[in-house]
Amino acid sequence: MALPKRIIKETERLMAEPVQGISAIPHEENLRHFDVVIFGPSQSPYEGGVFKAELFLPEDYPMAPPKVRFLTKIYHPNIDRLGRICLDVLKSNWSPALQIRTILLSIQALLGAPNPDDPLANDVAQQWKEDQNKAIATAKEWTEKYAKP
Amino acid sequence: MNRQRRKDFLLPLGGEQSFEPPVPPQSLMVGNVPSQESPEQVALAAHRDARQLVRLVQCPQCSRPLSAPATLPCGHTVCRRCLPHPRPRANISYPNTPDRLFGLACPLPQCGAEHAAAECNVDVTLSKLVELIKAEMTKHNPSTHATPTQLEEILQCDDSMAMEEKEKMRDISNQRVLHGGRLVSTFTMAEIGELQYGSDLVYHTLSSTGDDYQQLDNALLDRLREVAHKELDCLVCYTLMMDPTTTSCGHTFCRRCLARVMDHSSICPVCRRDLHIPASLQNKCSNALLNSLLNGLCPDLVAARAAAAEAEEQPGDDTLTTPLFVCTLALPTMPTFLHVFEPRYRLMMRRCVEGNRQFGMVMYNRTSAPQGDLGPTQFLEYGTLLEIVNFELLRDGRSFVETRGVGRFRICAHGMLDGYHVGRIERVEDLSLAEEGELEQRETTSAQELADQFQRENPDAALPADIALNLHSTQNLLDSCMEFIRQMRQASAPWLSARIVSVYGEPPEDPALFPYWFASVLPITEEEKYVLLRTNRVRERLKIVYSWIGRIRGQRWPSGNACSIL
Ligand SMILES: [Zn+2]
Ligand SMILES: [Zn+2]
Ligand SMILES: [Zn+2]
Ligand SMILES: [Zn+2]
Repeated sequence: MALPKRIIKETERLMAEPVQGISAIPHEENLRHFDVVIFGPSQSPYEGGVFKAELFLPEDYPMAPPKVRFLTKIYHPNIDRLGRICLDVLKSNWSPALQIRTILLSIQALLGAPNPDDPLANDVAQQWKEDQNKAIATAKEWTEKYAKP
Repeated sequence: MNRQRRKDFLLPLGGEQSFEPPVPPQSLMVGNVPSQESPEQVALAAHRDARQLVRLVQCPQCSRPLSAPATLPCGHTVCRRCLPHPRPRANISYPNTPDRLFGLACPLPQCGAEHAAAECNVDVTLSKLVELIKAEMTKHNPSTHATPTQLEEILQCDDSMAMEEKEKMRDISNQRVLHGGRLVSTFTMAEIGELQYGSDLVYHTLSSTGDDYQQLDNALLDRLREVAHKELDCLVCYTLMMDPTTTSCGHTFCRRCLARVMDHSSICPVCRRDLHIPASLQNKCSNALLNSLLNGLCPDLVAARAAAAEAEEQPGDDTLTTPLFVCTLALPTMPTFLHVFEPRYRLMMRRCVEGNRQFGMVMYNRTSAPQGDLGPTQFLEYGTLLEIVNFELLRDGRSFVETRGVGRFRICAHGMLDGYHVGRIERVEDLSLAEEGELEQRETTSAQELADQFQRENPDAALPADIALNLHSTQNLLDSCMEFIRQMRQASAPWLSARIVSVYGEPPEDPALFPYWFASVLPITEEEKYVLLRTNRVRERLKIVYSWIGRIRGQRWPSGNACSIL
């Protein structure tokens, strides 16, 4: 099936004007599937980490949001063990006026501002609330262990 | 999940009450209000059509270049400051929000309606556009007076006017000497308030060399096209707006894009304000000014965009022409009632209603069993082509659809289109009557021989079921089925109530059709009924339903209680 114009344009723009600290490259055999790399934001426990993720544009994109999942292990209250992300714009707050670029920026922002009050990974959120310093230390440790190239 | 209402009646108790044709006979037939389509448009020329080009950005109310333009529900645009003061609307209490309780009389004589104040907001796209155009005009307005043109306003006259009245109008019409070519000078005249919206202009160049400054106009229009083009992309499809339609919050999308968005949610994709418009966009006017701008500035791009959209509405493989609704079992000649609420199927239904009103109904492949050459598809290989008889669109975008089975098909290939399945289908037809007759003859004759032989060898034993079944003539099979129906009616079987018969009709006496009717009313699982879709012989179908009867009788089912065989 032909790729909608919008997906072609978004891909071209992502290539022509890449976003700082983020890359998204479509698979050659499936242009709806992107290999994503997000650099951990500075002054966050993920600083220096290089996080791999995958992004998929469903059949009815942009009516439905892209599906994004972290592939690199990450210690974060809004990201679970399977890499699934709890972020409103990826679910009920999606709007077709958003795009791959804005979604990836939102995910990067989520790394900079974990929100343990709206958790996906309950155990992580619990630790985050009980002992934030320790949780941040663990997040740094995991970044060191799993997200260093 | 789209649920078929008919399923209600499979419930053991009280199902019968809720079983009624959900589509009232007076259902609305819904179609899209056709948007104005301009016949073969030619681009406006910078010099020749300067007056017309400037009119595009003039307010029909104050005649000045539009300032903070508001596009009204009627699709017309005026400056916000040119809107009359809102006043309380008479006899309106719903929706009860303050801005809806106030209305304003549309200042445009061709409309004359009262618009809710809530729906008269600044048009974001046009505002930006007129600002950009104004900026370009200012930039191109020369500081020296070396390119003079005399502009003479020709006020619009009514044919009914008396001669002297017309004379008088000539006296009050404006005359000016302005600079920078026709486009800039015309715009300037509108800016200083000396050019009525409806007026025409006569130009005389005052150049000593006779230059009419045409190249100035051409250069400016090229520049205007360039700046305008960037603002004319739709935020949903990222291409040139096709039939731009503006929401009450002032955001503009292609009509089709907005309709698709409304299939999924009721809020504006840009500002998330609630929109309260049905996904059919019925009665929603297009943005007349944006349409004129698009057609005037870049008719070639508009045409290319329309062609691309048409191509995009087709799946990549243009043989996949039948939309597939994966939901339930439907049968030829029988009605199927659908309640459609999944966004992708809303879109599909809208397209069907606008097209040939037909789509394929297929069942889910619950066991993921391989489907012939298709492999383990999400749906079963055989289905029924349905034709929409009645379409009732609800305010919230859901719809009730009454359909009738047209014929059976097998799916040869399939793909996706905007989230729903589409397929290339092959119709499944019965054998010819000649072949059908031959088959009956062959089957009954050979069964008779087998029966004779069996009885000779086992005089006291009952005939094996398959032999006994094949002994029946086709007519005999139908008669037995009819007899069974009579008995069940006498026993007041709930699945033969007056209600159900009023929906599916009396049992058809045509042996080819009887099985479809019987399967429609009989409360057994859809998977069992599905085998009928694969048959290509009338006799085979009758034998299938006859075997159901045998099973029902075997289960001692004199009371006709539907649950006992579920
Ligand atoms: Zn109006
Ligand atoms: Zn005005
Ligand atoms: Zn669009
Ligand atoms: Zn809006």
